[in-house]
Amino acid sequence: MRSVKSLATAAEAGRHQREWFADLRRRVAAGEPFALLNADVPHEIFRTMDIPYAVSQWWASLVAAKQRSGHYLELVRQRGYPDYSEQYNSVTLGSAFDPEPEAGPWGGLPRPDIVVGDASGDVTRKIFDIWGHEPGVTFYPLESAAENEVPLNWWELMPHRWEEAVGPARLDLLTAELENLVRFLETTTGRRFGESRFREVMALVNEQEEWNRKTRDLIARTRPAPLGVVDSIPSVMLPQWHRGTEWARDMAKRFYEEVRDRVDAGHAACPGERARLMWIGRGLWYDMGFYQRFQEEYGAVFVWSMYLAVAADGYIRYGDDPMRALAARFAAFTDQLYTPPWSSEWYVKEARLHGIDGVVHLVSDDPRGSYFTARALEAAGFPVIEIHADNVDTRTFDDEMVKRVGRWLESVVLA
Amino acid sequence: MATALAALEEAYARRGAPPAASKDRTDGRIDGRAGDRTPVVGYVGADVPVELLTAAGVRAFRLTGDPESGSALADRYLGGGVDPMARSVLARLLAGSFGDLDRVVVSHDCEASLRLFYALRELRRVEPATGLPEAYLVDILHLPHRTTAQYNRRRIGEFAARLEAWTGRPLDLAGAVAAHDERRRLLAAVAELRRAVPARLTGRQFLAVVNAALPVDQHIALLERLLAEAGQLEEHAGRRVFLSGSDHDTPHVYEAVESEGYVIVGEDHSFGDLSLKEPIGAGGLDALAEHYHHSGPTAHRATASERAAHAATAVRHCRAELFVAYCRIGDEAPAWDFPAQRAALDIPAVLLERQEYGRADLTALRKEHPCAV
Ligand code: SF4
Ligand code: SF4
Repeated sequence: MRSVKSLATAAEAGRHQREWFADLRRRVAAGEPFALLNADVPHEIFRTMDIPYAVSQWWASLVAAKQRSGHYLELVRQRGYPDYSEQYNSVTLGSAFDPEPEAGPWGGLPRPDIVVGDASGDVTRKIFDIWGHEPGVTFYPLESAAENEVPLNWWELMPHRWEEAVGPARLDLLTAELENLVRFLETTTGRRFGESRFREVMALVNEQEEWNRKTRDLIARTRPAPLGVVDSIPSVMLPQWHRGTEWARDMAKRFYEEVRDRVDAGHAACPGERARLMWIGRGLWYDMGFYQRFQEEYGAVFVWSMYLAVAADGYIRYGDDPMRALAARFAAFTDQLYTPPWSSEWYVKEARLHGIDGVVHLVSDDPRGSYFTARALEAAGFPVIEIHADNVDTRTFDDEMVKRVGRWLESVVLA
Repeated sequence: MATALAALEEAYARRGAPPAASKDRTDGRIDGRAGDRTPVVGYVGADVPVELLTAAGVRAFRLTGDPESGSALADRYLGGGVDPMARSVLARLLAGSFGDLDRVVVSHDCEASLRLFYALRELRRVEPATGLPEAYLVDILHLPHRTTAQYNRRRIGEFAARLEAWTGRPLDLAGAVAAHDERRRLLAAVAELRRAVPARLTGRQFLAVVNAALPVDQHIALLERLLAEAGQLEEHAGRRVFLSGSDHDTPHVYEAVESEGYVIVGEDHSFGDLSLKEPIGAGGLDALAEHYHHSGPTAHRATASERAAHAATAVRHCRAELFVAYCRIGDEAPAWDFPAQRAALDIPAVLLERQEYGRADLTALRKEHPCAV
């Protein structure tokens, strides 16, 4: 049984998302330019220039939530493209091929004038480039560069000493690409890029993520935990798509205050908390209830998922040169979560910070295999259980997995 | 004396083992190791500037996998979604199959190579008992923009400096580039033998000729002999196939396709025709950086339209009659190229999707093209 009701910020963020998208559709219908951006692309440029944009991954998750992924993947397949490859991006590409775009979720995704994605992996650039061949669509690719040697403690270096963490080669490259992007957007949209507005946007993002950092720290040190991942994920994620707005900054602040009020009032996700769990891997969107299934019997609460933690540690960048600071936010963004030694050391740091008793690791065939993360956690003394989610019927997966995790909680974590 | 072709095929059979030391130059050292031992460097991927390895006087060879041996441990480290070719290379490194390597140099030619680099770097840090050599990443990128060109030039410079630091002496870049250019020139001539009608080399033979595990100077000598002996080469009259898609680090798929009566007369992966580019010339590190920036177009780094344009030209050039796009499981990029390639071609095109490492599902080929056999 859950002892608390959902957060007000989560409900408010969901409502705002619909209003925002309706407004975006109105603006685009009225002739404003529209950009479709990948999640790891510096949105701050578009925010600064007030160019309406949506995030590819957000759209794909909305499509998935509406059970429409199959429809868009079928459109991709009909053109002869694989329907099994990088589905997050290809679902979004499928909306470009839709003969009836208005029939899509929330009135459908408008046709973008510009698509921006980074050339990560082998397929992302290909997918967006194919999109760029649709009439009226320009694809602007960014490189995805890698570094030979990196310092371990990125989460300490990033806020101010990002130059050391990321390295000058990658920063020079992305800074130059972004300067060119600004010129390209100025030329094609006729909009101006205001430097003081840019500094304001950068400051708002840092403020938003500082609030997330306070929230993360508060949850980490509060026992029993004031809330579990089911409540924290929507409150942190939806405002992330609106980084650089006052609304998003204020939501992050209200989210913090809501959590603080819970702590002050002594509310807990599970007052009988006996074990604090960490979740590694993508979210189980089709079964968020899974995360609360171990509370009643075992007092085991999922207090950690990457979503709030990466908001807290992954975005904050200070510095006098806002374009280079922005490049520093994204030049190595996914390395923070997925590339050892950064990922493995960070998960251990977070597990210690949150007083984690056990780690549930969702293993998938994602090439960004997380073996080294699980290994580092085990080496640091955190018990890890691996569960496999691929090609399994959701229902049986759930029953069997709940039993397995239950046995593991009894025999390892709580023993 | 054996024919040059036989000698090259024999050297190809030794792929994945360090080539003998080159005779006509004094060799470098790494970490002041064994005085009389020339350092051995294994490299991964199409974008390692091998000219610099030659210039440093190390014995360098490209690391290849083996579809016939397991990769369970490497699967665990890399995850099952990574191209099995890279998993096999890691498995062989862990098993010590490549002998005593001083360094592994990895390029960012595809996601699997990058994942392999990260795994090597991390295993060395946290599991030193694996005994893996130090890995170095050369991050050459491929967007067709000046920003990328400048980045590549910096990375090439860093790698050159690192090699000098390893060996403790300056690089002989001009000599190395001249040797590799000469090899490229000879390989381009050999490629014409395969493109002849009827073909004078099979695809399997061409793969061996290009990837023979030999120091550059010995390779050049054998290629010269091969060209001199061209008149004695057999004719191969099978149906002419252009093989597109995934890299082939072993001859398995070539053998399977050619055993059905086809001859692979051209391909667009980095172990074959795509490795034969224009000469680099005398421009030093600048020219080297530009050469690698422009390499390809590989499935992993080019766009579908670039790949399609290349396929149309290459298919005409080698007078192929059938276009086969081969996509290995875990290597999804080539499947995205296929629709544009098919549209750009005026010969039949077949897609072999999600193929197992070292295997080709030929039933699809037989079904589509009964007359080919
Ligand atoms: S143990 Fe946790 S879930 Fe169960 S009743 Fe108590 S608070 Fe609720
Ligand atoms: S089956 Fe028809 S299309 Fe295919 S190769 Fe033979 S003749 Fe050409």
